[in-house]
Amino acid sequence: MKNDVAITIKNMSKDFIIYADKANTLKERIVRFSNNKKEVRHILKNINLEIKKGETVALIGVNGSGKSTLLKLITKIIYPTSGSIKVKGKLASLLELGAGFHPDFSGRENIYFNASIFGLTKSEIDSRLDDIIAFSELGSFIDTPVRTYSSGMYMRLAFSVAINVDADIILIDEILAVGDQRFQEKCMNKMQELKKMGKTMVFVSHSKEAVEFLCDRAVWINNGEIQKDGKTEEVLKEYIKVCG
Amino acid sequence: MNIFKNLYNYREFLKTSIKKEFRGKYKKSFLGILWSFLNPLFQLLIYALVFPFILKNNVSNYTVFLIVALFPWNFFNLSIIQSAACVVSNGGIIKKVYFPREILPISTATSNLINFLISSVIVFVALLISGVGIHASIIALPIIILMQYILQLGLSFILSAITVYVRDVEYLINVIMMLAFYLSPIVYSADMIPTKYLPLFKLNPMFHIIKYYRDILYYGKFPEMGSVFILFFVCIIILIVGYLIFRKLEKRFAEEL
Repeated sequence: MKNDVAITIKNMSKDFIIYADKANTLKERIVRFSNNKKEVRHILKNINLEIKKGETVALIGVNGSGKSTLLKLITKIIYPTSGSIKVKGKLASLLELGAGFHPDFSGRENIYFNASIFGLTKSEIDSRLDDIIAFSELGSFIDTPVRTYSSGMYMRLAFSVAINVDADIILIDEILAVGDQRFQEKCMNKMQELKKMGKTMVFVSHSKEAVEFLCDRAVWINNGEIQKDGKTEEVLKEYIKVCG
Repeated sequence: MNIFKNLYNYREFLKTSIKKEFRGKYKKSFLGILWSFLNPLFQLLIYALVFPFILKNNVSNYTVFLIVALFPWNFFNLSIIQSAACVVSNGGIIKKVYFPREILPISTATSNLINFLISSVIVFVALLISGVGIHASIIALPIIILMQYILQLGLSFILSAITVYVRDVEYLINVIMMLAFYLSPIVYSADMIPTKYLPLFKLNPMFHIIKYYRDILYYGKFPEMGSVFILFFVCIIILIVGYLIFRKLEKRFAEEL
């Protein structure tokens, strides 16, 4: 692997096995032994992708094309059926709102819990705590349980943690749409800032403006294959021509 | 040896999840952590009443005879039963965030170890009050506890991973543990087993471990060290095999949950 490369994906394919009715217990497995319909679905087919350090790449495509699956594969939540994925550097992903938040814990406790999932130690979290709380703009709500939060507050807290964990690579799945206009802009500016700091970012988005604002490069995924990979304007132009 | 580096990087998460297991268990009860003492005490009381009076055995100091075996057994029992569920019950975060999955069984096994160490205060109090006392053999105790922890960790890896694929394991394990309770010399003494069946009983690692505890704490003698080291070696093998099985199965956790 070359030195300036953050993510290398080689001949990677991912299949999902879809059961018509999944047998979870032994009884079900025996009873339905003969008629357990299953179907193999090829979600991603022979993906080759190289993302350099400091690049900001958008993954675009219609729903169900495999963008989110690709992010999950890079994060190592799931593993490829064939081929390989190599990631160099510390990775933080924001795939779903408040993944790993404990509803009964306060916002502050969840910062510790969530940041520790990203692999931070207590003293590292201590030193970032004020930044995280300030960015989230939660004020006094930080000490109430997160189950009382609105989805916007939830997202703000989750985003604040993820961008403050000091990762080299940040993966974000279209979640920014939740916050209000002003907070969205704040996030965009923060991401622009991270980009200038040389962080690698990959994000899935349906927002044309966000993609144009942030990314130098876009990868259009269609039906599990890379349809086009190149400069944002060019890829977007063609994508809009085909998909509207 | 990537695993150690990985665990070291995620040490804070390991710590918080051990704490969470430990505190979360009694979070909504009035007596809280006191239950870690009360539960085994009541259990002890019941057995100490049932076995000497109704089944008429004549072991001297039966309560102490029982407690030195029952507490290690509870440690084993809880650790195994909880480990079967530990990956499945964390399905939410497994599907959404990456972290070394090993942390889940490790924190279940470790929080139970801490629980056991706390509750063993009762064992020492009982030894002192009853006049059985504490003997020099106690220096062998840490080896036995460590061995039991290694065994449980190995079994936790296997059970937590298999349960993801076959959910029945979680329920099946309850029945197996009930059986294993009577196949280990807890309420009775190992020499009450007919010699004909003894080799069969000896296949159960907990049979030996319970015996060691009783030798050390109740009889005040050192267990036969040759057999201790053989079993220690077996436990390490179980841990390694268990970890390899876990590594093999963990790749599809997010898809199976």
